[in-house]
Amino acid sequence: MIQTLLLAGLLALKDYIATHVLTCLVPAFLLAGAMVTFISRDTILDYLGEKANKLRSFSLASAASFLVAACSCTVIPVASGLYFSGAGVGVAFIVLWVAPAANILALTYTGSILGGAMVLSRLSAALLVAFAVGAVLTLAFRNEVRDLPPPAAPSQLKTIIARKHLLLLLLILLSLLAPNYLVRTGPYWQKVAVWLALTALMALYAAKSLPRNSLEQWLRETWWFVRIIFPLLLLGVFLVGVVGKILPEDWIRNWLGGRGLAPSFLATLIGSVSYFATMTEAPFVDTLMRLGMGKGPALALLLTGPGLSLPNWLAIAKVFGVRKAVVYVVTIIVLGTLVGWFFGNFIFL
Amino acid sequence: MKIQIAGPGCPRCQATEKNVINACAELNLAADISHIYDVKEFATLGVRMTPAVLIDGKIVVSGRVPTVAELKELLTGAQ
Repeated sequence: MIQTLLLAGLLALKDYIATHVLTCLVPAFLLAGAMVTFISRDTILDYLGEKANKLRSFSLASAASFLVAACSCTVIPVASGLYFSGAGVGVAFIVLWVAPAANILALTYTGSILGGAMVLSRLSAALLVAFAVGAVLTLAFRNEVRDLPPPAAPSQLKTIIARKHLLLLLLILLSLLAPNYLVRTGPYWQKVAVWLALTALMALYAAKSLPRNSLEQWLRETWWFVRIIFPLLLLGVFLVGVVGKILPEDWIRNWLGGRGLAPSFLATLIGSVSYFATMTEAPFVDTLMRLGMGKGPALALLLTGPGLSLPNWLAIAKVFGVRKAVVYVVTIIVLGTLVGWFFGNFIFL
Repeated sequence: MKIQIAGPGCPRCQATEKNVINACAELNLAADISHIYDVKEFATLGVRMTPAVLIDGKIVVSGRVPTVAELKELLTGAQ
């Protein structure tokens, strides 16, 4: 028994390493490293501090979080920093939600595993939920008296990213997207060939246009992502292989299949409690879908898996207070269920 | 000299602390090094991206792990 399970886990690992490391992970980590190095996230956060009208600040918060690649654990300091330095509670919780649920890293990775339709759904559903969360939190805590620090002297707003760095980011993005979207059905070596050509182009550009120290810093940041996320990803894939073997297919089809409200709720619940590091949710959902999970519940799990987890509830409660944490978690569970049900019935036909 | 490291306890923050200690050791610098884990305190310090390093209350690094060489430069500059 244990032997079969181990074998299933190892087979999943082998399959995964053979088909994902080069064309998905290497460019994804390079992209993450480049974003941390070249995008001035401080400047982005400066823009969020200003008290614009709600619609504007909510959109700004969503767009900004999209670029701050982070899993739910690292985003808490960012969100609380915003909140305690004066940003609205809605803005803080939008960042808390969007950064893990729909950052550019997780989205491109979802796309290369689950396809374009799923990515667009994930993005639009995440934004929908974000605005709802922002509105609910703002409304629920509108009478709260806050003890704010004196406003800091207006800092000089710098540019968010230099043009040559933006071009590099786009080239990396291209080397991540093109192999997986151009060669959807062809043999794997074709993907590798496309990836190799584009990566060579990107490397050439980087070597020509960047000074040595920013190159070094970029690669160092990339290596950090590899060290932190890659082991979790391997562990996740292994567990997925084992879980896929343990769970009987009809169990998954019965409880998570179809497009009803109940499977969507169950998927949301699973996602809200368990911890998924950024990107690990994609192979997990992929396996469950092959075993019969419905597309609506799959979407719900994709969103709430990385967006929320039990450790994350506790951390939010500690930083923002129990009441806000309860309102946030309940809102997400309700919205996740509804979004899964809605997309399952009206979008994925 | 007072050096503060702000980080919620993530691996990158631990690495930053280690680099700060090593930089001080290599410079033979007797500094008062502390690591702040309380996320609420970050806001009063002005820290938004972690890990961050503050020298005498001023943020010198934020959102990344500085190298020992870079820290040595910052520390000698602040002296």
